[in-house]
Amino acid sequence: MISVTPKNLSVPLSQQRVKLDLNNLSPEQVALEIKNLDLYYGDKQALQNISMSIPKGQVTAFIGPSGCGKSTLLRCINRMNDLVDICKITGQINLNGENIYDRHTDVAALRRKVGMVFQRPNPFPKSIYENVVYGLRITGENNRRVLDEAAENALRSAALWNEVKDRLHESALGLSGGQQQRLVIARAIAIEPEVLLLDEPTSALDPISTLTIEELINDLKKQFTVVIVTHNMQQAARVSDQTAFMYMGDLIEYSDTNTLFTTPMKKKTEDYITGRYG
Amino acid sequence: MAIASKSANYRKVKNSLAKWIITLGGISVLFTLVLIFMYLLYVIKPIFESAKVDVTAKFVINEEYKVLATGVDELKEVAYSITEQGNINFYQLVDGAGYKAGDKILSKQLTADGESIKQLVNIGQEQKLLLDSAGNVQLVVPSFTANFDSGERVIIPSLRYPLGEEYLPIDENNAALTKLSFAMDDEKAVFVGFTDDNRLIKTTLLAEDDFSYDIAYEAQYEEIDYAAKQINDILVSPDLAMVFVRQGDQVAVFSLDDDEVELKATIIPQLAQNKSTPNHITAMALLSGGSSVLLGDDKGSVSQWFEVATEQGREFKEIRRFNVSDHEPVVAIYTEQFRKSFYTETPSGEMGMFYTTSEADLWRGKLHQGNAQAFAIAPRADGLVMFTNNELAIFSVENEHPEVTWQALWEEVWYEGYPEPEFIWQSTSGSDDFEAKFSLVPISFGTIKAASYAMMFAVPIALTAAIYTAYFMTPGMRRKVKPTIEMMEALPTVILGFLAGLWLAPIIEIYLPAICLLLIFIPSSVFITAFAWHKLPREYKTLIPETWAPIILIPAILVAAYASFALSPVLELHLFGGDVRQFITNDLGIDFDQRNALVVGIAMGFAVIPTIFSMAEDAIFSVPKHLTSGSLALGATQWQTLIKVVLLTASPGIFSAVMMGLGRAVGETMIVLMATGNTPILDWSIFQGMRTLAANIAVEMPESEVGSSHYRILFLAAFVLFVFTFVVNTLAEFVRQRLREKYSSL
Repeated sequence: MISVTPKNLSVPLSQQRVKLDLNNLSPEQVALEIKNLDLYYGDKQALQNISMSIPKGQVTAFIGPSGCGKSTLLRCINRMNDLVDICKITGQINLNGENIYDRHTDVAALRRKVGMVFQRPNPFPKSIYENVVYGLRITGENNRRVLDEAAENALRSAALWNEVKDRLHESALGLSGGQQQRLVIARAIAIEPEVLLLDEPTSALDPISTLTIEELINDLKKQFTVVIVTHNMQQAARVSDQTAFMYMGDLIEYSDTNTLFTTPMKKKTEDYITGRYG
Repeated sequence: MAIASKSANYRKVKNSLAKWIITLGGISVLFTLVLIFMYLLYVIKPIFESAKVDVTAKFVINEEYKVLATGVDELKEVAYSITEQGNINFYQLVDGAGYKAGDKILSKQLTADGESIKQLVNIGQEQKLLLDSAGNVQLVVPSFTANFDSGERVIIPSLRYPLGEEYLPIDENNAALTKLSFAMDDEKAVFVGFTDDNRLIKTTLLAEDDFSYDIAYEAQYEEIDYAAKQINDILVSPDLAMVFVRQGDQVAVFSLDDDEVELKATIIPQLAQNKSTPNHITAMALLSGGSSVLLGDDKGSVSQWFEVATEQGREFKEIRRFNVSDHEPVVAIYTEQFRKSFYTETPSGEMGMFYTTSEADLWRGKLHQGNAQAFAIAPRADGLVMFTNNELAIFSVENEHPEVTWQALWEEVWYEGYPEPEFIWQSTSGSDDFEAKFSLVPISFGTIKAASYAMMFAVPIALTAAIYTAYFMTPGMRRKVKPTIEMMEALPTVILGFLAGLWLAPIIEIYLPAICLLLIFIPSSVFITAFAWHKLPREYKTLIPETWAPIILIPAILVAAYASFALSPVLELHLFGGDVRQFITNDLGIDFDQRNALVVGIAMGFAVIPTIFSMAEDAIFSVPKHLTSGSLALGATQWQTLIKVVLLTASPGIFSAVMMGLGRAVGETMIVLMATGNTPILDWSIFQGMRTLAANIAVEMPESEVGSSHYRILFLAAFVLFVFTFVVNTLAEFVRQRLREKYSSL
């Protein structure tokens, strides 16, 4: 059973936030800059002229009704949309000032800098240990000491170490859903990315596992820039510093989470967060 | 409510009906399988049963004089005895024809009045050579004809005299003979005897025309140069090729070829194992076919000897030894006429039945207290007849399949005339003297060889095709490619077989260098084209829709194929002296069969590819997308993802695909039947043919006699094939389950 410490619950996450002016971030504060991004699936335009800056070391949430393009936008950030043949993208996404859609970008290297966790836990059919060190092994790292250390650090960061330290070499498929999802997070952070993309990471999990993951996200932002897609507004309110509301492929409103949920600027946002549609 | 309950009842009936039908279907499938299995075992079982000897009848018959020989007709209804005084008496063995069992039905005098038979020599199972005290001989053949005049079958005994009814002098000098042997064919009768003045003589009667029509001949007398005081046994082989003369513990072998008697070898048996005193030979007999001689000794063992080619030329060797008795000498060896079985007898009357080829110890027992005066094997080898002091006993013998033992099927056997023990399958031949060779090793090997070559060809192609189709190909193209390859599976294998045998095999033979070049050119042309395509500027690439880009490989492969065939004659001329086949045979010393493992590998590989491809493709395609995405999102390349995640997760499916392909290759019949040449040889060479279990059954089953050993061994081959596929499939399932436990994903 995953323990939830009351200490963390006593302080609302929203009160720990630092307010930033999202339109005037200094270059050091920006992790990702999305500029005039359009995305087409065949003839259908799925994203329309998205521009936003995602600040470093913070949690940014994308919310919106199903099909609004929030997951698509997330998948643009590590170029997972490249795998879809009919997908065409224009515009840029700058990571550390470099456009990731540049012709010379090494996609594999990009993905090592921008980790991603998917909706369903997807551990490989290997041992827990091998799952965590997978990202290191594919870069050719085979030094046992390095791997052991990285695995332990990643599992500790993912709050999984105490649960699995005695069965590192057993199959990862024997873990529970919540554990598997944390394992996948551990796997993603073992290669020390700069940005961590979470695509509805708790939608397949039970409430207690969800809570653990949310705690974890709050810890992770100390090391990584976190971008999370969620259809759960409460979750966005709980874990994120910034929230972007998207609707029908448009970025409707993007501001710090408190503002967006308490005093939204746009009618559509208000309708959505008050539950008039979604 | 009434309607509701009615529909509920209806549903219940339908439910239970469906349940019963499905259960019945399942059980009947299992039942049929078990039935096939049981039937195979039922047909096979008799070949592993040991022989049985039972008394069928005993009659008290007090012959006045000592019985020298006996015999029985084919149906075991009439037996006869020949006594020392020259009488032959026929006895009815079953009630019928107005006689009761045990009645004497015919008696004849074979010698002049007052004259007795000095010696009687049994030649084969029918001919009896009578020798009188003056050294004259008469050849008598008791024969039986079936007569149906009275409405039932009556066996009428009679006597034939193939060399005339007169007694013939054998020695030119009219000396008396102490030992005599004889053999004849249509043109020649050869007597070899030892006279009481210690001469070994050979007398040949040359027929003027043919002994079967006219008993007119010219006699030739000859003395064999051999010094001896006493001779124990003389045997002339039925094919008139050899004479074996035993003097004490030595057997001199003379060849009779070209009418020149020539000493060719002397057999001196060595000491039996673990015995300090030498064995003394006590009995000698010729095995059916006349090329093996059996020597019984005083230590109770019988050894088989025949001529084998060695580095020093042809010599007689001890091939195998049977331990007949632990403490008694062998006093007599009786051999069957058409099979390699023999019976032995010891002084106490212990008898044994053995089979040489299979080294089978078939039966041991005691048929009578003390020794028989005369003993004979029934013509069909299904009975024995024995005269003792006051009794005529008839035995039935159940010994249908003495030639089959585990050893004969699976171990190296030293067959007559072969230089060493070998694995050989040769079930039939034109000659009756033939020793059937039933080793399942060469044909099981052939099955494995054919399957291995097919898999060598099919697995790389099928798996790479499956990986490409499932993992790299665009969905639109995959929808067209996959059913096309799967359709290949519907090709009747007989078509593949005759294309391979009649079209491909000659092409491979003629264009062998081209075929070898193809193996290099096609893969390299694919790689070069792919690399060039990769380097091509974008504006040219857009000329072909990206999904159809692989189509550019087709002209590349065609060019590669054309180049291989065009280069072939040049290569042949400059590297192989103009003819590759001759180069391989003469310079490399490798035998080349037109229908060889290469042809079979390609043809059967072609048949197996769709099976492997289809299953492996499904397995790879069904690897969950979220696993590939997970790997790619960690910065793995497509290749790393493929090897480390996709193939690993799909491994149970890929493994079963390969095993299913193997199962198909093992059981495949038509292709191997038509394209292997069906030579049952043990040779891994790619240029040699083979014979597989399946093809062997198909080739030989139509001509095997129902119920014969051959027939049952073919069933055994079927059973072995069944076990092969059973083992392959069980192993496959076992490994697949293990892999699935390990790598199964959500």
